[in-house]
Amino acid sequence: MTDNYENTLQRICKHLERIADPGAIIRADTNLVDEFALDSVKILDLIMEIEDEFDISIPLNLMADVQLVSDLARMIERIESEK
Amino acid sequence: MDTPTVRPENGSFSGEPSLVLQPTNTLNTLTQRLADFETLTDALDYAASGTTGYNFYDARGALKHVLTYSDLRQSALTTARRLLGLGLTRGEHVAIIADTTPEFIILFFACRYAGLVPFAMPIPVNLGSHDIYVRQLRGMLSISNASMAIANKDFISFLEEATRDLECVRWTGTPGQLAQLPESEQELQKNQPDAVAYLQFTSGSTRAPQGVIITEKAVMSNLQGIVRHGLEIYPNDRCASWLPFYHDMGLIGLVLSPLVSQLSVDFLRTRDFAVRPIQWLRIISRNHCTIAFCPPFGLELCALRVRSADLEDLDLSSWRAAGIGAEMIRPDTLKNFASKFAAVGFNPAAFLPCYGLAEASLAVTFSKVGTGLDIMKVDTETLADRSVAVRVQADGRKHTEFVNCGKPLPGHFVSVVDDNGKPLPDMRVGRVLLKGPSIMSGYINDPETTQRVMRSDSWMDSGDLGYVSEGNLYLTGRHKDIIIINGRNIRAQDIEEIAEQQPEVRTRETSAFAVVDSNGVSTVVLVIECRLSSVQERQSLMSRLQRLVYAAFGVHCLVELVPPHTLPRTSSGKLSRAAACKGFMQRTGFSSLQSAKPEVRH
Repeated sequence: MTDNYENTLQRICKHLERIADPGAIIRADTNLVDEFALDSVKILDLIMEIEDEFDISIPLNLMADVQLVSDLARMIERIESEK
Repeated sequence: MDTPTVRPENGSFSGEPSLVLQPTNTLNTLTQRLADFETLTDALDYAASGTTGYNFYDARGALKHVLTYSDLRQSALTTARRLLGLGLTRGEHVAIIADTTPEFIILFFACRYAGLVPFAMPIPVNLGSHDIYVRQLRGMLSISNASMAIANKDFISFLEEATRDLECVRWTGTPGQLAQLPESEQELQKNQPDAVAYLQFTSGSTRAPQGVIITEKAVMSNLQGIVRHGLEIYPNDRCASWLPFYHDMGLIGLVLSPLVSQLSVDFLRTRDFAVRPIQWLRIISRNHCTIAFCPPFGLELCALRVRSADLEDLDLSSWRAAGIGAEMIRPDTLKNFASKFAAVGFNPAAFLPCYGLAEASLAVTFSKVGTGLDIMKVDTETLADRSVAVRVQADGRKHTEFVNCGKPLPGHFVSVVDDNGKPLPDMRVGRVLLKGPSIMSGYINDPETTQRVMRSDSWMDSGDLGYVSEGNLYLTGRHKDIIIINGRNIRAQDIEEIAEQQPEVRTRETSAFAVVDSNGVSTVVLVIECRLSSVQERQSLMSRLQRLVYAAFGVHCLVELVPPHTLPRTSSGKLSRAAACKGFMQRTGFSSLQSAKPEVRH
């Protein structure tokens, strides 16, 4: 994986830590739905923060394939590379 | 598809057309006609000679596309000839994944000009929902026997997956691919009022989706009721909407109602609204919109997610009809919204509670526009014990507030009956039955459900519970088998079905229902009779179920594993969800836990 990916991953984790329950462990293979239990409002917050930070727009069709934190990072990488 | 993206600025005095995109006018050059048409295409033919139409905004509030009714008609006619060129015959079904785009509306009307029956399919909204979404599409395509399926490039891969090996679908593609096809020389025929206009799917179920059949006559009679009596539309009205095109309120309410009264509409994608609700309010403010509908959940999002700093340049004083429907209305939600936005000119008298469902095209009752919320406080205990609504006289009695949803549209009737179908007097809670010209013809290829809902005496069972007082309808809940969370209807049996698909779970040993805490927050509960003894296996089943329910419906559920024979059954052996719910509350002490405040974020 590239440095850029690692960097993206770190930035996402920073946002996740803010909305996660205190003490939650966030790794690349953390399952957002399963372990993280994001409710719909938290997901909206997350999308907004990520869009603002990376200056991208996340299309809905891509969210359907996001399960792990690493999926999210790869998706952001892809959107950024297509900018 | 030939959607104009850039239009010359109206009234540009430089002589050169400016390339800045301008939204369509509010005031039309046409004399306004209020839904006095025979068919939807007749209505578009008339609207097309004016200057109004649809405007599409992006997530940052920039105008991206303008589709005047005139351009819509032109593009729809061209596309209709291409559809006929594919050899489709009148009455065949065409599935369209309904993103908030000009293409969707063009395709919808192209189908009608070609005599085809369009229906809107949803877009995926949940994290990790890929597989469930594809199954959901497949369910709709196969029960409707769709001949053709269309999606834009964002969603075409899901659609191709869904139509693989599906024999009925003869053509799958994007609007761009459709535009490459030759136009048929065949002449387009006029639609008859009793022809089917469209199908509307009501449930996200993977196995048994229900497609409501609506005729031209039914939808036009409903639209007439909405624009004349519900909204009392006049020529300088303008609409704003973020409602999805695949929901009846989005499509019938905010795409077709404006069209049959030749009004301009400003659209924002649902997702863009959900992430930044302020954009919707900014559009209303900037374009002086007068009509905008929103389910309570959307108002909650606005109150929760709009920052105070965003309020500064907002002016909501033009908003005269804030239609509220699509789920039970809790007065507090509306009061919170009103108090947050009063400072920027929002008038609480604009609240317009109404009641409707896809099975009645859209609307059944409307409260009087411009009068705001009318709340009845009824005694909670009497309501629960005797199903009677008794107004609270003295302070201090525990009470429940219900919102007056108004009177039925002209020609429509509401009746409240008991479980045996016997009409109940005013203030008695029972099943809400409906009658009138806007009612559906039935569910597509589902005679069993149709027969259960459409009674022989021409009354239709709405599935809702409520009472009537002085001709006004008050809704109190749904039958136990429907769970409403965040504005979405989820059938309990669909959740149970997910559980029953697990190897550890036997059929008819699951029960799903919702529990509501004292703050009105609903939680889905799934109780399962379970024979597993290993802690690890039990944990695995519980978290798998939570994940699957989340992927399918976007909600978190509580899973409770209980020993076999715990779930209560009726004398005929059927599981009782109401009794299961009661048992769950007793076991977990849910009622005493509920004082915990729901999480509120600012």
